Amino acid sequence: MTKQEELQPDQKQEEQKSPPPAQPQQQEQPRVTKEETDRAKEIRELYRKLEKTRSILHSAGDVEVGQTPHEILEETRTYRLLHYQQMVSKTAKTPILVTYALINRSYVLDLQPDKSWVRSLLSQGFDVFLIDWKTPTTADKYASFDDYVNCDMDHCVDVVLKKSKVDQVTLHGYCMGASMSAMYTTLHQDKVRNLAVIAPVVDTEKDTTVIGNIAKHMDVEKMVNIIGNLPAEQLYSCYSILKPFKQGVNKYFNLVQNIDNESFVGNFLRIEKWLYDTPPIAGETFRQWIADIYQKNLFVKNELKLGNETIDLSKIKVPLLNIVADEDHLVSPQCSAPLNDMVSSVDKRLMRFHTGHVGLIASLYSQNNVLPKVGQWLKARSQ
Amino acid sequence: MKLPTIGPMYAFSKDFGAYANDYVNLGKIMAELKTHNDSYWALVTAAYAKAARGTAEKAPKQLVTKEDFESYRRGAIEAFEDAFTELFASSEFSVVYGKVFSSQLDFSKALQSIAEKNFKVLNLPARGEIDEMLKDIHELRKSVRELKKEVEVLKNDQARRVTT
Repeated sequence: MTKQEELQPDQKQEEQKSPPPAQPQQQEQPRVTKEETDRAKEIRELYRKLEKTRSILHSAGDVEVGQTPHEILEETRTYRLLHYQQMVSKTAKTPILVTYALINRSYVLDLQPDKSWVRSLLSQGFDVFLIDWKTPTTADKYASFDDYVNCDMDHCVDVVLKKSKVDQVTLHGYCMGASMSAMYTTLHQDKVRNLAVIAPVVDTEKDTTVIGNIAKHMDVEKMVNIIGNLPAEQLYSCYSILKPFKQGVNKYFNLVQNIDNESFVGNFLRIEKWLYDTPPIAGETFRQWIADIYQKNLFVKNELKLGNETIDLSKIKVPLLNIVADEDHLVSPQCSAPLNDMVSSVDKRLMRFHTGHVGLIASLYSQNNVLPKVGQWLKARSQ
Repeated sequence: MKLPTIGPMYAFSKDFGAYANDYVNLGKIMAELKTHNDSYWALVTAAYAKAARGTAEKAPKQLVTKEDFESYRRGAIEAFEDAFTELFASSEFSVVYGKVFSSQLDFSKALQSIAEKNFKVLNLPARGEIDEMLKDIHELRKSVRELKKEVEVLKNDQARRVTT
């Protein structure tokens, strides 16, 4: 029973008769009481939402991701090569080989049907293949970019060419996968028709992100010698300092507030699953990534070594599409954009979008604004 | 334990010396780790104080309505985000973080070295020995891949010659 209900009927009558200035106490009491009632309701509602959030988070189980139908063309101990089923009749003969990064999992490109990068390309009539990197083990400590690019990627390209009965692919990489795609193109250009990269790490001296800042003083040689592969926990600690409160804390407030919105909760769980689904990174690859690319900036200096070969970005002559996000807090646009100045391609384009690193590939914004333009560019340059 | 070689206490004192050195080294590393950890927490505490000041400045005068609380939350998130992002993007933090990380690695290495001494007694392979094997396996795998490629090229050449 509320305080208001507790009042006797005669008391209420007295309140109504009394002029406001003469009875300030009795005047204020019902107002405060109503506020308290509202507050009690709000607290009950908040408690209900918190309880529902707890229950949903505990019983979330397996969140479905990567649902676009595909077959596994090939599987080795380091990768799976996926071939997606056509959704519409093929309008471009040149197949697209998507190279995902070695950080987190590739299903972010096919997070859910309405926010799937892969599905959008399929619906535009492209034939899409994807390299899904597997978790490196202790035995992969010495695996370097040379192994990933010159052995695994090269083999995948050969398989795709054979399957599609063509001579060249469109190489399409995201984040670290974009840098790997650029490395591959410099060494095996004859097999690449177009290079389309999303947020590539190129000129790290211009990188303004927290990740770039931390990488500067990391004794990565020592880490590889002592630990071997980069443990997932180390990556979590890096993620936790990127937008620590706006994303790290605020997202949970937003979840509680929107807990009755099924679609919001679904999106939240999928992204959360992806964020914490972090495999370790092979030791030698991580050493090259931090020491050679972030600390010495060898990639942009054309001095990066893959095995016995040197990566010279000026050798790239194929059409280049460089897609960057203005709000990217993992790879700043200033770090990605210089790729266009480094290559010798005549046909090159830089597309900038007002979104973030993940928003660029897995959001409604991306579906409506990024993918139609990307598809148009690719189609114009495919067989 | 090893049997004495010259005199009854020779091997014992030699082993003891090595173990003692390891523990002295571990102590030095822990002292260093503590110094770096202190610097790290000093930076975090300063950022926290700055964020708390920012929150107080942005906070509404009174916390009565739902909107007041909402506004307080927004102000706090913003103040903390600004203070900590400024910290994480600073070169000072990068240096201190690097030192803490390096000291943690030294600590792991010192523990590894102590553990490996016992591994030898138990006739188990040490980390360095396993690493050597991993390196060999990696080189072998690479060689096999290259050989397979070469065989493939030769096969294709041969097939082409037969057809022509």
